[in-house]
Amino acid sequence: MSADVELSDVSVTFGSFYAAKNVNVKVNGGEFFSFLGPSGCGKTTLLRAISGFQEPSEGKVLIDNKDMSGIGPNKRPTALIFQNLALFPLMSVSENIAFSLEVRGVSKEERKKRADELLELIALEGQGDKKVHQLSGGQKQRVAIARALAVEPKVLLLDEPLSALDLKLRQRMRTELREIQKRVNITFIYITHDQGEALTMSDRIAVMNEGELEQIGKCDEVYNNPLTPFVATFVGENNPLYGKVTGIEGDKAKIETADGQYLATMNESKKLNIGDESIAFVRPESLFIPRDGDNFDNKIDVNIESFEFEGNLKNFYASLKSGAKIKFSVPNAIDTSSITSGSSIVLGFESSKSVILPKASLAID
Amino acid sequence: MMGIYIFIFFAYLFGPLIIMSITAFNSAEFPSITPWECFSFRWFNEGKIAYDGQHLAGLLSDWRLHDGIISSLIIGAGVVTLSVPIGMAAAIVLTQVRSQLRDIYYSISIMPVLFPGVIIGISTVVLWDRIAGLGGEGFIADIGRNGIFLTILAQTCFISTYCFLIFVARLQRFDQTQEEAALDLGASQTQVFFKILVPYLSPAIASAAVIAFLFSFENYNTTVFSILSDQTLTTVIASKVRLGISPALSALALTIIALTIIAAVTYEVLRRRAEKRYAESEEKFVKEKAADNRINKKYKAGFRIPKGITAILLIVVFATYGATQIVKNDLYGQSCIDTADKKKKSKFLEQLQTLESNELTDEELSGGSLGGNQDYGDIFGDPSLFQDFGGFD
Repeated sequence: MSADVELSDVSVTFGSFYAAKNVNVKVNGGEFFSFLGPSGCGKTTLLRAISGFQEPSEGKVLIDNKDMSGIGPNKRPTALIFQNLALFPLMSVSENIAFSLEVRGVSKEERKKRADELLELIALEGQGDKKVHQLSGGQKQRVAIARALAVEPKVLLLDEPLSALDLKLRQRMRTELREIQKRVNITFIYITHDQGEALTMSDRIAVMNEGELEQIGKCDEVYNNPLTPFVATFVGENNPLYGKVTGIEGDKAKIETADGQYLATMNESKKLNIGDESIAFVRPESLFIPRDGDNFDNKIDVNIESFEFEGNLKNFYASLKSGAKIKFSVPNAIDTSSITSGSSIVLGFESSKSVILPKASLAID
Repeated sequence: MMGIYIFIFFAYLFGPLIIMSITAFNSAEFPSITPWECFSFRWFNEGKIAYDGQHLAGLLSDWRLHDGIISSLIIGAGVVTLSVPIGMAAAIVLTQVRSQLRDIYYSISIMPVLFPGVIIGISTVVLWDRIAGLGGEGFIADIGRNGIFLTILAQTCFISTYCFLIFVARLQRFDQTQEEAALDLGASQTQVFFKILVPYLSPAIASAAVIAFLFSFENYNTTVFSILSDQTLTTVIASKVRLGISPALSALALTIIALTIIAAVTYEVLRRRAEKRYAESEEKFVKEKAADNRINKKYKAGFRIPKGITAILLIVVFATYGATQIVKNDLYGQSCIDTADKKKKSKFLEQLQTLESNELTDEELSGGSLGGNQDYGDIFGDPSLFQDFGGFD
């Protein structure tokens, strides 16, 4: 059983501060939906509004098309997984998992049965009698999920539950979470500041900044066609090229910067006019060192400054004539021994791989 | 050097208690070690019934002390049942108060500790006397002039603050998301309280109850006013000391000390046992996890010389010396007590005879300018005047 969750014009204010402002989202039943944003962007506030710990100052939260205002967290068909998990340290693993059944007056045998079922789901069979502190980080994580699933909620809310884990475990838990979601087939609403987490697990993501929604869409959509300079720079990395629009050709726009003219793709909903202040974005992996026969729409002269080895990628930091910085990545398999610090090279990129947006503040500013 | 310092420190702490404890076993009527009369348990039992019927109560036969202990226990139980919930509620409120109000609320909450106990006692009596005066005769008037009820209220005033502090300390480490998690899982506020908060606070509840009881049991300066015509253990002891100190008090002190030590040792033993059980379960857990057998070795603790060996030896030496002296000089048992009593009795008789021999004749009395019978009327003429006089021993 899963349910739609709809936020309709939700605002949450603390005094005169807007933690969330006019948020409109519809999460479909059975979807894995992520809210992505930097810390303090209001994503946790939204999650608390959905779970019932925070009444919205304006607007409505609808779960299964039912208005949730005035309904407390213990009466909503949602379950929340806390950032610190909030497992009950004085109870055993089984007692933790069966807590929601216990408070509903379910008999002891039935509780044990259900706890065993869930322990099997999270691959912790026979460990129900252990105390919480005897579990490892990943096991605790799974117990928290089992505890939340015990009452069969229609919506599972996850508040950065993986942030305390180390990298390897985090990557494994991502897959596991995704698998659990498919198995129980309920709506997952996930909150994170880690774009990698959001992109790998979610069906759709919503990018938030300063309490407002910047963009909602499928992962590749958000990554490839960002709607705002914030989204362009927050989701993945992007090189901004500041300038003015000097010409428009169909869905492409020509931008004049201090270092030259480039052609970039406009977003359908963000049409530009000649003379507009704008930014063209090109991702580090879309910048290529041209080989014989390559013919790119755009070319940039750069001066290599430094180099960084990341494993699968080699990152180069370079500067343009105007002093603007640019970063580009080359797969490790490609030989780059001829490129050293101080050398000047020409890079190329396709206009279809570059977006141009009206000027606004970036995520990294 | 360190050892000497510690010895002096402990001698300062426990010396008076040890001396007092020893006096409980001396049969003399005044608590003393020297002169040693006889080794006896009589101050724990009936006390002394003198040859002429006068009764110096021992621990078992002192009904005033018994009444005092009973009312102290009742008051202690009352104070625990009132101040633990009050302290807990106040501490929980503190966690809910906004930050600006927090400091003010905290200061007001701990204020009763700073008031002199005397003032709390007097003000309670004054307040309830007015309340009792309002309703005329009846339940309120009875309760407003009931010393035990007033003492429970007066002590709760400041003892609940100590409980409050204990709960605050524990609650500071409480992770409030646990409450939210329980709520989210469908628990009602009441269930959150009883299933999450109370289990978490249970160690604090236990220590608050013990502290509240002990504070109540030993309180004097508030109690002495609020108890009105009743008596608690402390007021009984105080009034006894005012009349003259008796070895029965030493016996009482020793009993209280012994009970305290037994309770402390029992608690410690239980705690260590629980700790051991916990350590064993942890060890089992670690063993399960361990891939190889490296941590599976058993470490057996060898015999270690206890650190307090000097102190223990010293006590044993002194005790043996004292015991041999007592046995050698036959300073124990009923026979010894009888001889001692007889000695005092005969002395009294001698004194009486001396007095009688010095008695003035009627002529001497009537002839002198200080003639008693003439000036004061025949006040010594009553033959039953000294009938109940117990003697000078």
